[in-house]
Amino acid sequence: MPPETPRGAARRSRFAAAFRPGNAGVVYALLLIVAVLTLLTAQLGRPSYLSPTNVINILDQSSLIAILAVFTTVVLISGNFDLSVASVAAFSAATVLSLVAPLGLPVAMAIALGAGLLCGAVNGLIVQLVGINAFIVTLGTMTAVRGLVLILTGGRTITAQDPDAQRSLIALQAGYWTVPHVLAILGALAAVAGIVLLVRGSRRAGVVVLLAGVVAVALSPVLGFELRLSKPTYYLIVIAGVTWAVLRYTVIGRRLYAVGANAEAARLSGINVNRYRIGAFVLNGLGSGFVGVLFAAKLLAINPTGLQGTELTVLAAAILGGTSLFGGLGSVLKSVVGALILFTLDNGFNVLNLGANYQGVIVGTVVVVAAAIYTVAGRQKQVRRVRESRPRTAVRQEALR
Amino acid sequence: MHAAMVSLLSLEGIGKAFPNGTVALRDARLSVRAGSVHGLVGANGAGKSTMIKVIAGAHAPTSGVVRWKGEEVSWRTPGAARRAGVATIMQHVPLAPTLTVLENVFLGAGGPWRLPRARRAEFARLLERVGYAIDPDAEVAGLAIGERQMVAVLQALATGAELVVMDEPTASLAEGERQVVFDVVRRLSAQGTAFLYVSHFLDEVLSLTDRVTVLRDGTVVEEGETAGYDEDRLVQAIVGRDLLATERRGAAPVAPDGPVLLSVRGLSSPAGVRDVSFEVRAGEVIGLAGLLGSGRSELLHAVYGSDTRARGEVLAGGRPVRRSPRAAVAAGMALVPEDRNAQGLVGTFPIWKNVSLPDLPALSSGRSLPREPAETARAERAIADLGIVCPGPEALPGELSGGNAQKVVFGKWLYGGARVFLLDEPTAGVDVGAKADILELVRRFAAGGGAVLVVSSEFEELLAVATRVLVVREGRVVAERAAHETSEEELLMLANGFGEAGFGAGGSGEGGAHDAA
Repeated sequence: MPPETPRGAARRSRFAAAFRPGNAGVVYALLLIVAVLTLLTAQLGRPSYLSPTNVINILDQSSLIAILAVFTTVVLISGNFDLSVASVAAFSAATVLSLVAPLGLPVAMAIALGAGLLCGAVNGLIVQLVGINAFIVTLGTMTAVRGLVLILTGGRTITAQDPDAQRSLIALQAGYWTVPHVLAILGALAAVAGIVLLVRGSRRAGVVVLLAGVVAVALSPVLGFELRLSKPTYYLIVIAGVTWAVLRYTVIGRRLYAVGANAEAARLSGINVNRYRIGAFVLNGLGSGFVGVLFAAKLLAINPTGLQGTELTVLAAAILGGTSLFGGLGSVLKSVVGALILFTLDNGFNVLNLGANYQGVIVGTVVVVAAAIYTVAGRQKQVRRVRESRPRTAVRQEALR
Repeated sequence: MHAAMVSLLSLEGIGKAFPNGTVALRDARLSVRAGSVHGLVGANGAGKSTMIKVIAGAHAPTSGVVRWKGEEVSWRTPGAARRAGVATIMQHVPLAPTLTVLENVFLGAGGPWRLPRARRAEFARLLERVGYAIDPDAEVAGLAIGERQMVAVLQALATGAELVVMDEPTASLAEGERQVVFDVVRRLSAQGTAFLYVSHFLDEVLSLTDRVTVLRDGTVVEEGETAGYDEDRLVQAIVGRDLLATERRGAAPVAPDGPVLLSVRGLSSPAGVRDVSFEVRAGEVIGLAGLLGSGRSELLHAVYGSDTRARGEVLAGGRPVRRSPRAAVAAGMALVPEDRNAQGLVGTFPIWKNVSLPDLPALSSGRSLPREPAETARAERAIADLGIVCPGPEALPGELSGGNAQKVVFGKWLYGGARVFLLDEPTAGVDVGAKADILELVRRFAAGGGAVLVVSSEFEELLAVATRVLVVREGRVVAERAAHETSEEELLMLANGFGEAGFGAGGSGEGGAHDAA
């Protein structure tokens, strides 16, 4: 067995591959859009696009969609599809608003989350155990749950009028948390990560990360950054971070990708495919329920058509992030970046006073162009890989992005 | 200067190097005469596919000359080759499953209208030429694989092809269907259509072709009249070493007092398994012999629990196993499925993730956080142990040849403590060299105290590895033979339902009554 060298090289190439345009394209796209908008605002003499207020705003605005996109990405990776997220979120919003006054927020919220979870479970059970295509099932539940919203609201907007209820709802999502000494905290985290890397045997990366951490901690008293973000943004960071780590570093995550990429091979390898796929739906339902509660807390009201059409924005974010609609490929962090792109464009139109009329055209174009780039890049990668290997290969059709 | 006499197609000094430096063909030559059947053989990775792709216009050669009817040509697209009269039938026939036979055959025909009447007459003429009968209005989705193959042949002829290139046309066909393909090839070549016939089945190449070209490592190592070859000589030319010695070594029977690792009692399934019972002891290799559609694969899936409708008792090491693949894996069972790409490998995972998949918790911290160095180490071990030819553990299964991909599937089960191996056609679509490796691996499983159940269409192969053979027919085990006491002929008779035949007369050999799927 060859020792350290080839394995270390493999890991380094894996690390470098993550920054290649083919893999991190969506991040570069976001940076490009932000750069263009910043230059344009500077040129036109408007308030700077990159001002802290505006950045905090964009993050806040995109957080709910981005949370939905995280969970939808999980479902897409598992090889399924969920159209019902917006309806479920609206249903849970309506639930929490109508129950918060009599029951108090904790109970109302638990019931609302439970409702979301139940919707997800229904989706998953029908799709996996009856074996109907997920698109059809969730198209049905999307419509049916929207119907439940109409029944629950009686077709009218419902609001939280009780002052106590209002206060508790506002406390859930409004306001900002400030993290002081961001540099010091991040530096300390980086130092720990560097030590972990060193212990696990990758010397170069470990030293680099450790040094960066130490430098950041040392500079912290001088520069003294602090991080002030809205509460939903923090929710997003935690949810996306945890989900990413689970997908990337745990057996559960690995198996989820396997199930999505080739369910039969996964099943014959001893993986309970149904459990993973139903689990993804349940998680998506729960996440939608949570977003519904946040939405209700934000507006303190929900009208029967609230959030309608959001499911498509969420899917657009996931597609922008390079998630495959055929399963087995995708990253929740990239989907979050996808959501950020959508809201950056949205916000840019406002800042530049371009008028909302053009927005649909631009956003739609961006989504299709992104999908085209992923598909073409995927095809080229496939050609390259096949050429690099021996010629006699039954080329497995790499899942279309 | 040499091959330019009556060659329909000739390749001279063809080289094909890929941008990264891989040389797939080096100074390769080929000369197909009009009306002849030309065999092209070689191990996986020898350059057969590249050569076919050069002929079909899918790859441009980096050096050398392609001549068509004596004139130098350079086809840059598959359409150009097809228009010139070269039709290529790939291994996986690309037909439109929802259209009828007639529509598929004339799929490439131009013009804005569907012209059923004119087409029908043309179709009838085609069938007459080929000497084959098929309903033009049948939907392709409902056809057997062999019939689809014929539709592809008809499609090739409908475009007026003078040279038909067939890549592994019989790889997934049953015996009867093979004969149909052979008949058609013979008949058409007599009428003047030339064939370039690529196959792993050397007996086919020997009986069907007029001339044969052997490729090894991108160069032509031998070329000549097929009549001058026999199977041994061809195998030696392909692999460059003598393999048959290992392949034909029969296995000795196992002492009857070994521990029973697997016992199956009264197993039945609506998928086509009827009341099957047997036992496998440690060190035994049980061959399941049966024709296509006899229920042999279904039996493996029923034992493994992947057929959820199967009912009956399966005990591994004396303990009953719940009916699910998950429980089977936990009980130390392993399945190498028939279709490695669809059932065995995750195409988006590199080798190391594929190899670790069934045994991931054992390679993880706290059974939940995979340790990637450990996984990579295991993949490297599998690559070394099994002799997998690949760029490294990062390679995707799609980059590997069939035999190497199959070894990756084996690699999944080597180190996880599996003791009962269920192998479904482990050597299908695998070249001769890899086949010998895989058979050796099967013997090693058994020698290491494991129990193996192996399904193969090639009875010769079963006899080479098995200690006992169970004959499966219509979902039942109809006979049991010790491998050293039986013969291919006897197994074929039994599998065809000719009772307790001890005399190898009658319908022995190839082409016995075929059991329809």
